[in-house]
Amino acid sequence: MSDIAKVQHTAESPQRVENVKFAMWLYLASDVIIFSILIATFVLFRVNNEEVVKEVHEASGLFLVSLNTFLLLASSWAMVMGLREIKRDNRKGLIRWIGLTAVLGIVFVALQGVEYTILSNEGITIYGSEFGMRFYAPTAFHGAHVIIGVLWALGVVWHAMKGGYGPKNYSGVEVFGLYWHFVDVVWILLFTLIYLI
Amino acid sequence: MATVTAPLPVGVGHVEGKKFKLNELLRWSVDHKIIGIQYMMTAFFFFIVGGALAMMIRWELLTPAIDLMADGTSYNQLFSIHGTVMIFLWIVPMMAGFGNYLLPLMLGAKDMAFPWLNAFAFWLIPPAGILMLSGFFVGQAEAGWTSYPPLSTLFSGDGQTLWAMSIHLLGLSSILGGINFIVTIKNMRPQGMGYFQMPLFAWAILATSIIVVLATPFLAGGLTLLLLDRVAGTAFFNPAEGGDVLLWQNVFWFYSHPAVYIMILPAFGMLSEILSVHSRKPIFGYRAIALSSLAIALVGFTVWAHHMFTSLTPELRIPFMITSMIIAVPTGIKVFSWLATLFGGKIHLTSAMVFALGFLSMFVIGGISGVMLGSIPVDIHVHDTYFVVSHLHFVLYGGSVFGIFAGIYHWFPKITGRMLNERLGKWHFIFTYIGFFFTFFPQHVVGILGMPRRVAEYAPEFQGWNVLISVASFVMGMATFILLYNIVISLRNGKEAGANPWRALTLEWQTSSPPPAHNFIGDPVPFKNPYGYGTKAAWEYLHKQEEKLGESVDALNVDKPASSVPAGD
Repeated sequence: MSDIAKVQHTAESPQRVENVKFAMWLYLASDVIIFSILIATFVLFRVNNEEVVKEVHEASGLFLVSLNTFLLLASSWAMVMGLREIKRDNRKGLIRWIGLTAVLGIVFVALQGVEYTILSNEGITIYGSEFGMRFYAPTAFHGAHVIIGVLWALGVVWHAMKGGYGPKNYSGVEVFGLYWHFVDVVWILLFTLIYLI
Repeated sequence: MATVTAPLPVGVGHVEGKKFKLNELLRWSVDHKIIGIQYMMTAFFFFIVGGALAMMIRWELLTPAIDLMADGTSYNQLFSIHGTVMIFLWIVPMMAGFGNYLLPLMLGAKDMAFPWLNAFAFWLIPPAGILMLSGFFVGQAEAGWTSYPPLSTLFSGDGQTLWAMSIHLLGLSSILGGINFIVTIKNMRPQGMGYFQMPLFAWAILATSIIVVLATPFLAGGLTLLLLDRVAGTAFFNPAEGGDVLLWQNVFWFYSHPAVYIMILPAFGMLSEILSVHSRKPIFGYRAIALSSLAIALVGFTVWAHHMFTSLTPELRIPFMITSMIIAVPTGIKVFSWLATLFGGKIHLTSAMVFALGFLSMFVIGGISGVMLGSIPVDIHVHDTYFVVSHLHFVLYGGSVFGIFAGIYHWFPKITGRMLNERLGKWHFIFTYIGFFFTFFPQHVVGILGMPRRVAEYAPEFQGWNVLISVASFVMGMATFILLYNIVISLRNGKEAGANPWRALTLEWQTSSPPPAHNFIGDPVPFKNPYGYGTKAAWEYLHKQEEKLGESVDALNVDKPASSVPAGD
């Protein structure tokens, strides 16, 4: 057994890497479907109630959410940089960039909380507002994904600090990257559908 | 078809199998075999629970008035939990159990692709089951297993919230299990086994898992909205506050119709194995059976609104009627292939085989009543009557559960190393078959006569029929205990099975019973055609296998014709 463990430490078995990546894609496929239901409830409402949504748009403003979108995009970029560093055998770089990813994710969630507070002060709550329930359900579900992603990023950082990962052994970072990019792409879709059009 | 055998590694000698131990089953384990048995035992427990609820339903329906239950509400709770438990905690986990136990063995693998994830997926089930049943203490769910709003949002008790959380957990468990199966099948087949050399059970699990991964999230999305409606005060399903009741029906059936195939496809897979082995004939139409599973998985996504003929806009009825008729075609392909497999075969009426044949006959009846329900004029007449109840039970009991029973008799020797008692198996079959038929066939009649389902009080003229149905259902219920008794005594006193009592060619029989910790000693070599029965190459393969793994019971008497073999070997 100890021999096998040693081998895995230097280079992962390609079988294992392929398994994990494929499983992640399958998981994302099922997650897409859950999001699509939440988004569909919003879209159907949007089509039938154009004025209500316009009013909300005017009331809320775009500055905060645009900033947030920018931060999330930046975090995806930090994620890519982190993967690049570990491929170059620079573990410190990996820790720094993935740490930045986590920080940007935390700021995103915090700003979303600020936005929720502003909206509910204007009377748009999850209960008692036809727009509210369809707005909070998908965005909060996305926010939960970001929180899980932040925890995962911190896990990656922790593992790297203990000496994990290497230029031939970075599939853990890669799979986290798949998830994080997915969360990012979903946000772009939500941003476009809910705030822009 | 040309059959090729590769030489087996020689000189490995008889392999001592692991003993079947009960206390291992109560602990966390990442061994797919133990997880498989854990799934099966948990599921069987809930089968008994769901069965007890069914018996109470039938006891209540002995008379036209409410007498056993306090009121209609408690009757509603009975059938709601009966349906939910039987579907989500019995059939689905039982099939997952068979898949877990058999799939890596059939693929010659040491374990599933993700052993830890596998164990995690299993351990979500017991808490989910407890959550579901604890609803009885806080006002159990009473909106039926379909839980249509507004019944499930504005009327049902707090148990409905627990119900939704429980199903959420079970759905997560299914998705994780399904991902594991797909990855295992894609990446862990042995050298020399392409997709079209896989056993048909593996094909069935593949098709099932694709449905699980792509359909279960619809239920998860719907349940999330349902929970928000109940807990957070939203009104997604409440038209009075801007919601839409049809949203739930669409989302629910978009999951639950494919879920019907989640429950039946693995049974199809088991049937393909059992019919071929016990009639000593190659399966007829291997590719047709394999690909029709995928076709069912695909078309299954296009038929959901036939559950909503009476709530949908009339223009949408015809397209869904057409897709519903189309899905009968791949199912028909399977049934005819199985009949052609039996034709001219050397049929051995073992307990596994009689249940498989029982499946064939009863499932065909369920399929025909399904086509009747798929045609709009009939559906509008009989919807929400016992005709629907009858159809559902013919495909899920006469289909899935008979398939599970057949699978238990077929694979019990592999799992435990001992044969089940055949005589008790036959009695189990006779009572189950007769009880089943007289429980559910008369329901067609009372359904057409107009007796509504889900109601505790009924018109007095139906009482004769209902007494017959109830008595038959008690017979069927008691018959299950014959199986339990058989399992218990066979575990102690059953005949030692040996590696391959059915002389089957698939890889799970290419190791001792029960298999050792990593399934195989050395890499197993698959026989090119897993169904190449009756050929000389197959006989030689099996003979070499016996030399390697030691003598096993010859339950089907297949060694006899080859009299050139010295006696006693």
